[in-house]
Amino acid sequence: MNESRRLERLAERDAVIPVELYGLKRGTVTVLTACCVLFAVFTLIPLAWVIINSTKTQANIFQSFGFWFASPFEFFHTFANLFRDVDGDGTYSNWFLNTVLYAAVGGGGATVLSALGGYGFARYRFTGSQLLFGAVIAGLLVPVTLVAVPLYLVYAKVHLINSIWGMILPSMVSPIGLYLMRTYVTLSIPRELTDAARIDGAGELRIFFKIALPLMVPGLMTVLLLSVVATWNNYILPLIIFSNNNLYPATVGLGLWSQHATTSGDANLYPLLVLGGLVTIIPMIALFALLSRYWRSGLLLGSVAN
Amino acid sequence: MSLSNTTVAETGQANAAVRKSAPRRSAYARRRGRSGLVFVTPFMIIFTLFMIVPLAYAIDQSLYSTKLIGGTSFSGFANYASVLQSGPFWGGVIRVVIFGAIQIPVMLAIATFFATIFDLGVAKGGRFFRAIYFVPFAVPIVVSSLMWGFLFDPMYGPFNRFMTALGFHNFNWLSSALMLPTIIIIAIWEWTGYNCIILYTALKSVPRDVVEAAILDDTPLWKIVLRIKLPMVRPALIMLVFINMIGAMQLFVEPTILNTYQPGVITDTWTPVIDIYSTSISNGEYQLGAAMAVVLAIIIVAISVASLAFRNRRRELG
Repeated sequence: MNESRRLERLAERDAVIPVELYGLKRGTVTVLTACCVLFAVFTLIPLAWVIINSTKTQANIFQSFGFWFASPFEFFHTFANLFRDVDGDGTYSNWFLNTVLYAAVGGGGATVLSALGGYGFARYRFTGSQLLFGAVIAGLLVPVTLVAVPLYLVYAKVHLINSIWGMILPSMVSPIGLYLMRTYVTLSIPRELTDAARIDGAGELRIFFKIALPLMVPGLMTVLLLSVVATWNNYILPLIIFSNNNLYPATVGLGLWSQHATTSGDANLYPLLVLGGLVTIIPMIALFALLSRYWRSGLLLGSVAN
Repeated sequence: MSLSNTTVAETGQANAAVRKSAPRRSAYARRRGRSGLVFVTPFMIIFTLFMIVPLAYAIDQSLYSTKLIGGTSFSGFANYASVLQSGPFWGGVIRVVIFGAIQIPVMLAIATFFATIFDLGVAKGGRFFRAIYFVPFAVPIVVSSLMWGFLFDPMYGPFNRFMTALGFHNFNWLSSALMLPTIIIIAIWEWTGYNCIILYTALKSVPRDVVEAAILDDTPLWKIVLRIKLPMVRPALIMLVFINMIGAMQLFVEPTILNTYQPGVITDTWTPVIDIYSTSISNGEYQLGAAMAVVLAIIIVAISVASLAFRNRRRELG
């Protein structure tokens, strides 16, 4: 564990008032810990079921006890099937790569646009800046679910149905991301710093890239995380704008399989549905674990903005 | 002197003063204003094309009607009149309101309970449990609906077998009577951790010395929580009520996916968003669907505005 992390933990321990001081009855801590365990079990039940059943045959998914393994061990066979088009609906690995593409380019783009825009609104006043920022704030109030159908109507006119850009470009629109970045710049980049650089004769773009951007990294990671997750999990927009199965992201592909699972007969879609669901979750959980330092503060900021 | 002038011009108020005396606004300040525009332009272009334009187009389309004979013509608020008079649409609205009225209080109670426990440190392994509870937030709703669909499946789902073992035969979690409660359970699973973390962060910001003083006065713990801690996080709680209300109004994915496990229960008008989807995409009546979307957007914006007004009023009072 590195030094700053250790100090952080020490500080956290210091901030907590020792439990003994509350004068609790004996056993209270045990009872409350038991409550925590109960809710943790509730939280983990579906995940445990998915992990266990990703190793089973379709027959065993139906017949064997749900919370224990059953032979034969089919995990690798099912995993191999994720790379095949088993029933003509499409190939999971293809859908998964689509998801990665949409989330990376859409989420990355959202982060870049939010960083530039947030910095612009935080540090400059220009004709119409308040009007434009007001429009962005109004955009915060519009739920993404409700933009999907209007987008479809426009796409039908301009031939963006079944285009990956029809999915990627709207994913780059993140009013919340811009708002977060503007707040972040205002709170954490001292004006003296940028002013000093300006006096030294640095250009505006140079000040942004050399001075502001490095200081914005924690805020950027929060926006990146939130917008990647939002695109990764998006269902209604790709559902509406794609009729070509090869362009589906994993969410829409899995939704299609769940419709066909009961009628697919020999295709044995249930094991694929279980394992495909598991594979879709893993990158997101990994991302949260990796960036956990950033999302705590970001979530609070984000929720205040909402 | 020129040096200090430049620095003063950086601050917003000084800039406003400069703007008032327009002739004195330096070429430098104007050039800087232009740089600001350069920074915000990429965002504004994408924002306009993929948010403002579609919304404006949808509002425009909602004022037209297409008839089999006579084609498309301007029909004013005719689509809105049929949305406002549509029993199924408002039935869906009422359903999501009932959903929110049960799900939000139950979830917030659980989230507050655990956030308080974690904040006080009165359970072992708080760090570990906090991480576990947050996991569902990272799971796409499509996948959580699929997982819970398997668990609740009427044919082979383990929860169904469990009920049978308890003596409830032909128990169906996904029947039309139980579908809404089942979705409430799923939504509680999805969102409790997220709400809990936000409340935990809010509780953490309550000054420590306030609590210490109360302890020195021999105040019992439950009183510290109810009288000191919770009142201080009330703004966070109120904000969460509104955020969750807005989420509830948009219920779509869970019923859509569960419909594949128990076909026939989820109708085309089960929730407002399902109604909008089936009207404009499945039935192709996109002008009517656009009008529905506008009505729902107005309801949601009204909730948001109410939350802002509520917050501002509290701020003035405090």
